[in-house]
Amino acid sequence: MTSLRSQNIRVLGIAPSSRGFGFAVMEGENDLVDWGVKAVKGNKNARSLSNVRNLIAHYRPDVIALEAIRIKGSRRSSRVQALIREIVAMAGEENIKVKRFSRKQLNVAFLGKARGTKHAVAESLATRFSDQLSFRLPPKRRVWMSEGYQMDIFDAVALAEHCLRSGKEG
Amino acid sequence: MASQRLPNYLLTYRKRAALSQEEVAYLLGSQSGSKVSRYELFAREPGLQTALAYEAIFQRPVSELFPGLYEKIQSVVRARAKKLQQKGFRGKGRGFTARKRETLAAILSGEFEKRQQTS
Repeated sequence: MTSLRSQNIRVLGIAPSSRGFGFAVMEGENDLVDWGVKAVKGNKNARSLSNVRNLIAHYRPDVIALEAIRIKGSRRSSRVQALIREIVAMAGEENIKVKRFSRKQLNVAFLGKARGTKHAVAESLATRFSDQLSFRLPPKRRVWMSEGYQMDIFDAVALAEHCLRSGKEG
Repeated sequence: MASQRLPNYLLTYRKRAALSQEEVAYLLGSQSGSKVSRYELFAREPGLQTALAYEAIFQRPVSELFPGLYEKIQSVVRARAKKLQQKGFRGKGRGFTARKRETLAAILSGEFEKRQQTS
């Protein structure tokens, strides 16, 4: 079990999805403070935004890490794209820096190559944070299966971890 | 840029242990998980008995479970130690005064804390 004594930057990684969003709070490269999935129904963007506001109020992060949606090839739905824009605006109001990373950047960081699956990234994170995440790794998705909801956690951890590793928070 | 430590990391350790709030409440001897929730949301500070029960549950020292609170208290104690040092000492002998001086210097430099951790 890693010690949580180091004094470091706090990053909130948010990975919106069709169900709601996954989140991860990290302090320094080694300390995963909180993680989970917020599933929402009804007005998904408004409810997700309210949940993000609560997380910001509770953890007071220095940086918010999100997926880059403006790059060519991003296949995020217009609702998720709008949610990401709203989170960026909220971060601006709270004077919190925002860092955005593409899937390609995450694949290079965690797998060493631009092409790779989300599951491969999740496996590497489950190994790294075995105490916290190993028992939450969903089974490898087959063609006929829908994505496990817990995959959102791994997406959020990947964003937060890469933000801290890349040292671009300044 | 370094963030201030959170008042406590009870939620982090509970999630690591894969325990629910109700299960932790049971281990603490509470009626329901709502008290545990209030501790985790920093809305309430637990008493000494509960803090020590948390130490027994998560196998971590209280100062590590409550680092933000610990740092706050530590800085107040250090400020008091500085004042006490400035006041001067009226000891029962030279050895006695020298020992007091050492203790206060250790509190101010954090040596006292390090000594406690290694012992």
